[in-house]
Amino acid sequence: MEFNENQTQTTGIAEQPVSVAAPELINGSHALIQSLIIEGVKTIFGYPGGAIMPVYDAIYDYQEQIDHILVRHEQGAAHAAEGFARITGEVGICLATSGPGATNLVTGIADAIIDSTPMVCIVGQVGSHLLGTDAFQETDIMGVTIPITKWNYQITNPDEIPEIIAKAFYIAKSGRPGPVLIDITKDAQLKLMSKPFDYKKCEKLLSYRPRLSPKEEQVEAAAKLINESKRPFLFFGHGVQIAHAEKELLQFIEKTDVPAASTLLGLSSVSVDHPNYVGWLGMHGNYGTNVLTNQCDLIIAIGMRFDDRVTGDLSRYAKQAKVIHIEIDPAEIDKIKKADAPVVGDAKRALEMLLPLVKENNHEAWRAEFKKFDSIEDEKITQPELAPTTEKIKMAEVIRTLSNKTKGEAVVVADVGQHQMMTARYYQFKKPNSFITSGGLGTMGYALPAAFGAKVGAPDREVVAIIGDGCFQMTIQELGTIAQSGLPVKIIILNNNFLGMVRQWQQLFHQKRYSFVELQNPDFITIAKGFGIDGHTCGAREDLNDSLDKMLASDKPYLLEVLVEKEENVFPMVPTGACVADIRLE
Amino acid sequence: MTTYTICVFTENTIGILNKITTIFTRRRINIDSLTVSETERKGISRFTIVIRHESREAVEKLVRQIRKIIEVLAVFGYLNDDIAYNEIAMFKISTPIGAKPLDIETINKVYKAWVVYWHLTYVIIQKTGTEEEIFEFFNYIKPHEILEFVRSGRVAVSKSPQTLVDYLPEAEWEYYM
Repeated sequence: MEFNENQTQTTGIAEQPVSVAAPELINGSHALIQSLIIEGVKTIFGYPGGAIMPVYDAIYDYQEQIDHILVRHEQGAAHAAEGFARITGEVGICLATSGPGATNLVTGIADAIIDSTPMVCIVGQVGSHLLGTDAFQETDIMGVTIPITKWNYQITNPDEIPEIIAKAFYIAKSGRPGPVLIDITKDAQLKLMSKPFDYKKCEKLLSYRPRLSPKEEQVEAAAKLINESKRPFLFFGHGVQIAHAEKELLQFIEKTDVPAASTLLGLSSVSVDHPNYVGWLGMHGNYGTNVLTNQCDLIIAIGMRFDDRVTGDLSRYAKQAKVIHIEIDPAEIDKIKKADAPVVGDAKRALEMLLPLVKENNHEAWRAEFKKFDSIEDEKITQPELAPTTEKIKMAEVIRTLSNKTKGEAVVVADVGQHQMMTARYYQFKKPNSFITSGGLGTMGYALPAAFGAKVGAPDREVVAIIGDGCFQMTIQELGTIAQSGLPVKIIILNNNFLGMVRQWQQLFHQKRYSFVELQNPDFITIAKGFGIDGHTCGAREDLNDSLDKMLASDKPYLLEVLVEKEENVFPMVPTGACVADIRLE
Repeated sequence: MTTYTICVFTENTIGILNKITTIFTRRRINIDSLTVSETERKGISRFTIVIRHESREAVEKLVRQIRKIIEVLAVFGYLNDDIAYNEIAMFKISTPIGAKPLDIETINKVYKAWVVYWHLTYVIIQKTGTEEEIFEFFNYIKPHEILEFVRSGRVAVSKSPQTLVDYLPEAEWEYYM
């Protein structure tokens, strides 16, 4: 890279006289930004503050190479970086100051680790001479983030910056991706490096060696089980999207003719139109996929981790089936569900190796069993939801209408709760890499900033956020970020004036004791307009079509509030602690 | 309850102890003893962590989670039979004038313990051995007043002929002395 030669400016910091330094020496802040540029970073989501000011001063010089987006709260930066990372597959970057700036990132970091999202968070820290003195805005963010980062590191010397940033990127995006936090003391940002800036990308580490290609004998053992199976059932998760293995997955499904079901974060990796796609798994997943989990003879799990929301009661989960577990993180093997044939490696490589070893097969009769359950679910739940007789609009019809209007090809970012489950159920995903939601952590408030981040990462795609009225108020301030960017993020609030999912549980399991779930909401449209975002409210079924058309036609950010049925429930449902086969339809 | 000895080899950098112990804390596993020191290789630390647990499976999962820490080079879980292990204990024993004298010969020959410091009113005895041997000596010496007692964590070496270098052949190893 040519940064060494071109670097004439050393620093613009008043505290650090530059005239005495040799011209090729740069300070820590410039080293940081140049490192980011070499890593291909074009977008940073951040928020300035005292301990990160030298870095902000440096960014000022690189505005043509790096687009810094000023969020309204650091949590917004973290979720935006996640949305960006999820849609692009690149590392999302956030920048924040010490103390509260850093702790405000924590929810987003915890979200990113559980959903395997690559992210590098760079936070300022008080000067190294002040560490441990309870200095102004000092938080031990290293200690705070140990359990929720893939790696964290504190830099106190500017000379460390190139190597540590290179390591941070390598760790964040390789193997099972995850968040990395780099804490940089203010003096390390200000001080000149003692040697000329030199950046080498990190390609391997002694102590961290993720396995990409699985062992051949593991793949052979898996192929043998697949070829012998009479009722194989494939589960695909987020790992397929992370590994960009959608094509290989399709080839595998088509050759073996296995029925394939998605986890929540796997949604969109296989089109809903595909004849082998049988739906999604778990608590609010489909009827057939859950019941037949306990009737298959082989589970082929790819890039998924048997979350408790997928398995229900583990002691009664797929006891009859053998399990192939294709997974890049060896710690996930046998963590929840014992694997008869573990395959440790990248989903794409594993499928490539598996493909020539599996025989062409026909499982039409076995796949037809799913259809029987589908027709029951269709009659009891889906049709009544989509063609309701209620006065008020139902969430399902909003989602399905949106799905039809966007041809199932939009990037849909769902927040957390009933509307999330309804989106997963009723949006008909036809294009890979189209669904972003907080799966593992269930972070309310995720969708608005994540949708913004996704739009930044994929400006050519239609990005629609589906948000509940409760969630919306958790990160509502990011309307300001969206308005300032002018990016046409489309926001739908499904407003039932309730924390709907909690209310549903209180209705079903707590004798309708509605404890603190009813919301007195503000006028969302007025608020949006206050931020400079246009919007309108739709309260009548006959206006829904036009409302969605109006929102989608806008070339600016747009907020559509839909007033929906107050007390509707998401079904099917596997109640907590129940067996997947005991899924309730009402 | 079975005793497991977990040996963790890590890069010797700040904060690794915290990164390792938080994995135990989160799973509510109590650490019986813990010893850390640099190995024969420069920059490589060795943690010896002793826990008791009823489930071998849970310990295996724990080991895999420790392996995920970026700075961790290797983790091995051992049963007592797999390792040679020892601890060291120190006893400060009161020896006021007029008290029953210590039987130094028995202490040396039977218990393989040594007086490492004499004072007018007390002595310090050092005893190396397994936990059982140390407590055997504890019971022997108890009639004399024990002013202070301290026991180290376990140090352990596997009986396997393999060394860390065999597990990480590509590393450029350097002895630190």
